[in-house]
Amino acid sequence: MSLSKFMGCAVALIAVILWPHPASSEPYLAVQEGYKCNICHVNPTGGGLRNSFGIMYAKVLLPAQTVTDLDAWTGKVINAVRIGGDLRAEWSNSSAPNTPSQQQFALEQFRLYADVAVIPDRLGLYIDEQVAPNSSQNMEAYVRYGNSNDGLYFKGGQFYLPFGWRLQDQTAFVRELSGISMTTPEQGLEMGYEHSAWSAQLDLTNVPASGAAAKAGHQITGQAVYVQPVWRLGAATSLTQSDAGNRRVAGLFAGLRTGPIGWLGEIDAVRDDSFAGGRSLAAGLIEADWRIRRGYNLKLTAESYDPDRAVAQDQQARYSVVYEFTPIPFMQLRAGYRRYRGIPQSNVENQRLSFIELHGYF
Amino acid sequence: MVLCTAAASLLIGGCAGNGQGLDANGQPLMPGGAGGGPLTADFDSIQANVFTPICTVCHAGADAPHGLRLDAADSYGLLVGVPSAEVPSLLRVKAGDPDNSYLIQKLEGHAAVGARMPLGGPYLSNDVIAVIRQWITAGALPPTPNAPAAFTLLAVAPAAGEVLVESPAPIMIAFNHELDMTRIDPESVRLERRVEAEAQMPWLPSRIGVTPGNARTLLLWPLEPLSDGHYRVVMRVSPALTDIAGEAPRAAAPAFEAAGDSPDVVISTFVIGTAP
Repeated sequence: MSLSKFMGCAVALIAVILWPHPASSEPYLAVQEGYKCNICHVNPTGGGLRNSFGIMYAKVLLPAQTVTDLDAWTGKVINAVRIGGDLRAEWSNSSAPNTPSQQQFALEQFRLYADVAVIPDRLGLYIDEQVAPNSSQNMEAYVRYGNSNDGLYFKGGQFYLPFGWRLQDQTAFVRELSGISMTTPEQGLEMGYEHSAWSAQLDLTNVPASGAAAKAGHQITGQAVYVQPVWRLGAATSLTQSDAGNRRVAGLFAGLRTGPIGWLGEIDAVRDDSFAGGRSLAAGLIEADWRIRRGYNLKLTAESYDPDRAVAQDQQARYSVVYEFTPIPFMQLRAGYRRYRGIPQSNVENQRLSFIELHGYF
Repeated sequence: MVLCTAAASLLIGGCAGNGQGLDANGQPLMPGGAGGGPLTADFDSIQANVFTPICTVCHAGADAPHGLRLDAADSYGLLVGVPSAEVPSLLRVKAGDPDNSYLIQKLEGHAAVGARMPLGGPYLSNDVIAVIRQWITAGALPPTPNAPAAFTLLAVAPAAGEVLVESPAPIMIAFNHELDMTRIDPESVRLERRVEAEAQMPWLPSRIGVTPGNARTLLLWPLEPLSDGHYRVVMRVSPALTDIAGEAPRAAAPAFEAAGDSPDVVISTFVIGTAP
């Protein structure tokens, strides 16, 4: 049996296993539950290390079946030190017109997190280290002062900027267009405010450049989100001033819960003067997450991208269907298919990607 | 207003464009333009078939990751002979040596740091990577001259504010045009060291040259290893520093400070040893 046939059978088998059973990370969970990001994560802007409630949610509310032996695990190794991690491994198959298809297994990432509450609710040290694949790479390391659950707080160091939905898929058009994702940490300062339904941040960071590249300049990023139990609305903006040219990004994003379905939407627009003559770009995303049963989630996503608004008929689109199965606490299987649509003369803009991912976390 | 317009256009025209009147990279066809064409082992072809359609989705604009802009105007100058941001001991493209070119390591997925590129895949096929290797092996020759932009300084390594644990060898200054090496003199670019309690910063004797196969990157080799201390790289915008067309560098970017009397400009300051 060829590898492609074997993987095809595996996909079919997993689909069969997943479908008839009862279900459920990421922002869609926050939308479905009506939570702010800091309900489940140490970082008030979401992602990375889970807090006590996040661990409890992962143990009890997310998986199809709970495991009672995990009652003692809260994420804390000692009273002031909390740890966590995420490991993602996947098999993928990609194809594009006039291009040989590719199949491979890959360790996508293994990240470890730690947070030391030096003074509880006032002073903390946080680190996010990608330990694999390849050599270790620091993604986030910052000092946090203030109460990030209710009130004003400050971060200093290296961290991810807040901008729009912090999607698990870092290749989503809105994340690539904004240039702000969980693959591109920045160094600087953040001032944040968390109170009641409001969450807001203001960041001053270096331009995303280092080493030999021209690096003079700075980036200012701001975001505000208003969260209600069944809906939320956020706005974000970012201004980069650098030798390469100025870049302005603006985004609106919203979430809505209708029954078992959580809806996410985002629209971003960019004006980048680093291109000769300047260029305007735009991207949008609509995502529906249907929680079929506890531990089971079906994610449908439609995206649009206009790489140059001055050029007609160059738009791209991407459609994804992803099924997520969380059978037991701290383990998730994801199977998905993405279809890219672009101008017919471009092979890469018309690729297809299917994948199966194993996600372990704690 | 911009967002509303963008939203409307995306919703109304939410499908892919039909590409009418565009080349394979989504740019309007120009009279005489031929689009990308088949991939061959030269920079223009690699730019048109790989960097522009695939890499510039992220690596473009003022927010490009690690400042690496791979659009046609910037990519060569920011790739060839330029240290990588993630592993500064490796050049992004080392002419003649694909195995030790960070670009290849990132594309093949065995770089010491970070994820394989393109991020999230699909990755370039072995055939495509082999063509890029071939271009590097042949000396990573520059693109065909084509109505160049103004002669401009692109980057300096060590970059401003860097703290190094040991002496860099050599210091690299990247321009977007080939330099006229017949005119460059020792004053064109010089290295200075700050000495305590002295207003003047003495020059450090250095040798000036270019990267083999890349006359756009000026190299400065200090004649002796640099000891711990504060240093700065100063460029003199003078008739001696021109591109091969005789054009002087465009007025220095605002980020570069004037170094005393004009026409000297500080293009980088760095520290060897422990920062104060």
